[in-house]
Amino acid sequence: MRSIKSRLLLTSLLVLVVFMLLTAFVLEQAVEKRMLKAEEDKLGALMYSILAAVDRDATGLSITVSDARLFEHALFDPNSSLRALLYSERGEIWRSISTSNSYPRPPNLADEELRFSQLKHEDAHWFQLAFSIRWPNVHERLDRYHLVLWKNAREYSDQLKRFRQTLWVWLSVTIGLLMLLMWLVMSWGLRPLRAIGDEVKAIENGHKDSFDADYPGEIKPLTQNLNRLLQRERHQMQRYRHALDDLAHSLKTPLAVLRGLTEKSAWQDEDLKTLIEQNERMNQIVSYQLKKAATVGGELMARPVNLSALLTKTVNALRKVYQHRGLHIDLDAGDDLQLRMDESDLLEVLGNLIDNACKYGSRQVRIRLMSGEGQINMVIEDDGDGLTASQVNSILTRGLRFDQSREGQGIGLAVVKEIVDAYEIDLTFERSSRLGGLQVMLGFSNV
Amino acid sequence: MRAIVIEDDRHINEQIVGRLKQEGFAVDSADNGSDGLFLIQEYPADVAIVDLGLPQMSGLEVIRKVRADGSKLPILILTARGNWQDKVEGLDAGADDYLVKPFHQEEMMARIRVLIRRAAGWSDASLSCGPIRLDPSSQRVSLNGVEVELTAYEYKVIEYLMMHAGEVVSKSVLTEHLYDEDGDRDSNVIEVFIRRLRQKLDPANDLNPIETLRGRGYRFTLPPARAAS
Repeated sequence: MRSIKSRLLLTSLLVLVVFMLLTAFVLEQAVEKRMLKAEEDKLGALMYSILAAVDRDATGLSITVSDARLFEHALFDPNSSLRALLYSERGEIWRSISTSNSYPRPPNLADEELRFSQLKHEDAHWFQLAFSIRWPNVHERLDRYHLVLWKNAREYSDQLKRFRQTLWVWLSVTIGLLMLLMWLVMSWGLRPLRAIGDEVKAIENGHKDSFDADYPGEIKPLTQNLNRLLQRERHQMQRYRHALDDLAHSLKTPLAVLRGLTEKSAWQDEDLKTLIEQNERMNQIVSYQLKKAATVGGELMARPVNLSALLTKTVNALRKVYQHRGLHIDLDAGDDLQLRMDESDLLEVLGNLIDNACKYGSRQVRIRLMSGEGQINMVIEDDGDGLTASQVNSILTRGLRFDQSREGQGIGLAVVKEIVDAYEIDLTFERSSRLGGLQVMLGFSNV
Repeated sequence: MRAIVIEDDRHINEQIVGRLKQEGFAVDSADNGSDGLFLIQEYPADVAIVDLGLPQMSGLEVIRKVRADGSKLPILILTARGNWQDKVEGLDAGADDYLVKPFHQEEMMARIRVLIRRAAGWSDASLSCGPIRLDPSSQRVSLNGVEVELTAYEYKVIEYLMMHAGEVVSKSVLTEHLYDEDGDRDSNVIEVFIRRLRQKLDPANDLNPIETLRGRGYRFTLPPARAAS
C-alpha cells in the first residue's frame, strides 16, 4: 500500500461492500416476507372459494366438494401446482382432480383455525394452508372436517431467485459506478500531490528552479518552505564559494609578491633556498585546501550540466595552450551527454586530467566519451612517459604529502581524487594499450 | 617588443613590469580593467598580460572586448584562484595562455616569448632567416653560426623586423614597439640602428637583409625557415 490513492480506494471499497451487503440482506428479508404473505393470502382466497363449493353429500351424513361449483382451473389440472384435500375425522373424503399422489394428513387444528406452513414433501418445497371447520350433519350434530391446500413453492422460489439475481446485478453495478466516481474524485483531489512529485523531478533534472506558486492552501506552506530552502541552499553555496575565492585571492597575491622578491638575487643562497621552498609549500597548501573546501560534491538537486559541451570547451582551451608543441588532441565528445554535477567541480576534474595528459603526452592525446547502461564512461589516453599508472595509483592511495611533492605535481590529481570521491565517480589508471602512455578511465554514474 | 600589463596588485604589477623592461620590452601598465582596455585599444602591442580579478572591469570582459574588436593580440591571463573554470573560461573568451599565481617570472617570460612567436607564425624557439639566427630567450643573434654583438636597441629592432619578416614595418610602428609611452621618441635614431644592423649582419654587402621602402618603412627580406607545422 504505497500510494495514498490506493489506500483511500481500498477503504472506500470496503465501506461500500459492507454497506451494500447490509442493504441487500435487509431488502431480501423484506421482499421474502412480503412474497410469503402474498402466497398465504392467495391460498386463503382459494380456501374460501373451495369452502363455497362444500355441500352435504348424498347420504347427508358427510360433506363433499362439488366439482361443478369450483372455478379454480388449476384444481382440475394434475400438472398444476395446486392440490386440495378434504378430511373428516375418519379419513380423506375428497380430493381435487389435480391431486394424484398421497399427501400426509395435517395435525388436528382447533376449531376455525387457519394454519399456513411450509414443508418438504417428496423432495419438493410446498406451502400448506389447513383450515378446520365444523359442519352440521342430518342429525344436527356438528362434525369436524379439515380442508387442506397444497401449493408447490417452485414458482415462488423461482421468483425469489430472479429477484435476488436482479438485486445483486444492480448492487454490483452500483458499487462499480461508485468506485469509478471515487477514483475520479480522488484523482482530482490528489492531483496537487502528484504535481509536487513531478515538480521535484523537474527541479532535480534542472528543468525548473523552484516550485510553482499555484497550489491548494493545504500544500502551499510546504512548497513555499521548500522553495525557500532551495533558494537558501543555492545562496549559501554561492556565498561560500565567493568567500573561498576572496580568501584564495587575498592569500595568493601576497605569495606571488614574495615569490617575485625571491627572484631578486640580493639574498644569501641558503636563505633564498629556504624562502623559496617555504613559499612554494605555503602556496601548495593554500591551493589544495581551498580547492578541497570548494568541492561541492553531491549537491542537493544539482542541476545537470552538458558534459559533451564542457569537455569540448576544455579541450579547445587546452589545444590553444599546447598548440606550440604540435600536440594533437583527438576528441570524441559524444552527443549532448548530460551529467548531474556542479560545473566547477566537473571542469576541475576534466581540466586536471586532460592537462596532465597534454603535459606528459609527446605527440598525441586521445579522449573518448561513451554512454551506456545509465553510465557515462570517459577515457583519456596519452603517448607520453610521464607518471605510470602504478605511480599515480600510489599517489592517490597514499594521499598527498606536501613536503614530498614538487612543482604542483600531484595537487591536481589530489583535487581530482577529492571530487571524484565526493561524487562517487569511478577513477582508474592503466597503461594505454593504444598509445603506450597513461590511460585514465572515468565512470560517471550520476547521469 | 611592446607589452601591456593589467594587474591591480601594485607589487605584482611592479614586478612584472620590471622584469619585462629588464628583458627589453617597452611596457605600459594599468591597475584596472577599463584603463587596461583603453591601453590595448589605443597602443599597438605585441602581448598583453591580464589579471582576471580586476576592479572596474573584469579581466574576462577586457579580453572579450578586445576580441570583439577583432584584435589578435596575444593575451596571457593571470589567475589567483587557479581553478579550471577560470582557466577554461579565460581561454574560451579569447586568451591564449594562463598562469596561476604565484608564478615564476622565468615561466612567465617563457610563456610570453612563446605567445609572441606563435603570433608571428613561428613555431620554433629560435628564428632563422637564411644565415641569420635569432634566439629570443637569450637575446642573441648569430650570422653563419658566429655571434654578432648588438646593443639592446639594435636587438629590439632586428627582433621586431624578423618576427614580422616579409612585412613592411613603418618607422613609427618600430618606434612605438621600442619605447615606453613616455620614452624618448626620435625616429631618426631608427635610421642609425638600421644602418648599424646592416653593417653588422651584412658585412660583405651581398645579403641585403633589410630593405628600405622610401616613405613606407623597412622590410626584412630573407625568407624565414619556418618549421613544418
